[in-house]
Amino acid sequence: MKTLYFEEVEEGDELPPIDLLLTKDFVRTYAKTAGMDFPRFTDDEGARQEGLPGMIAPGVLSMGLLARLIGEWNQAAQITRIGTTFRSPVLPDCHIHLLGFVTQKDAEQHTAECDIWMENDDGERWVIGTATVLLPTRNS
Amino acid sequence: MARVIDLHLHSEASDDSRAPVEAYLKWLARKRDERPLDGIVLTEHRQFDTRSDYRALEDKYGMLILKASEVETEYGHVLVYGVNDAMLQRFDFSNVRLRAQELIDEVTRMGGVAMPCHPGRPTIGLIEHYENRPPLEGVVGVEALNGGSKKGENERVAELIDTYGYHAFGGSDAHLVSFVGICATEFEKDITNTEELVEALRTGGYRPVDFRVRRAPAQPASSRT
Repeated sequence: MKTLYFEEVEEGDELPPIDLLLTKDFVRTYAKTAGMDFPRFTDDEGARQEGLPGMIAPGVLSMGLLARLIGEWNQAAQITRIGTTFRSPVLPDCHIHLLGFVTQKDAEQHTAECDIWMENDDGERWVIGTATVLLPTRNS
Repeated sequence: MARVIDLHLHSEASDDSRAPVEAYLKWLARKRDERPLDGIVLTEHRQFDTRSDYRALEDKYGMLILKASEVETEYGHVLVYGVNDAMLQRFDFSNVRLRAQELIDEVTRMGGVAMPCHPGRPTIGLIEHYENRPPLEGVVGVEALNGGSKKGENERVAELIDTYGYHAFGGSDAHLVSFVGICATEFEKDITNTEELVEALRTGGYRPVDFRVRRAPAQPASSRT
């Protein structure tokens, strides 16, 4: 991880992609740790009884992974806002890809706007969103 | 003049997008080699933006910027091009239960064109509703290529087009800045304004174009690492 100052960040910069195998064990552990020990997040059969295709990842887990994308791009980036749209259930035991770009900079606020999203191997974007990050400046 | 136009995208005027129009234009300028677009059509959800004037941005970026709407019907979502005062008086675009046949008939009569978007998508796409309802009359084209579709959705549309003879167009359905122009429509004739767009969409002479670049993913690590 590295530190990027506001002056070093450009509109159009790609956030280094993160490719993960999102396992069911990981999702179960997360759900139980987060106090979300519900069948939809821990058990395929229980999730099916709720009308889901199988157990799914909690939305806050997806948001957390997208926050990690930003943190690994720039450890000095302070996320001041993050917003996501869940376009499809996130089904574990599959490869996921966390991707993003810097799309806008605000020179007065020293912030950058980032597109962030999670997609699968087929390029289906399961979670899309944006984040605003506050960046350090060389003069601060 | 425009030949390649993204016919479906959402700006910050829509409730589920934060993308400023100028950010879209800057992104397209940056990605010109990948996505050689000449214009965009803003299709805000359940509304028509009567206030914004994009002429200065058109001049600054050399892009055609037109406005339309994405509305909701019992047959799924429909893009309305050529929106005018008569349509806005006739229909409440914020109504999520507009009658599709009435919308298509009236929009056509009032000088516009109404075209179903992402028809292969569950619940909000035309195909699922054609399984339980009679086909709509007066549909001239459907969005055959939608940048936000999942695997199989765009493929299902090919069969619909074969069956009903609809024209096919494409759009990014971008809600994020970096997705603008990943899918678009290429016209045989230049488009310079909304009237020409409506005329072209009604008569044909266009095709969807796909500018998506698939990345080769690295070997995934475990989510524990």
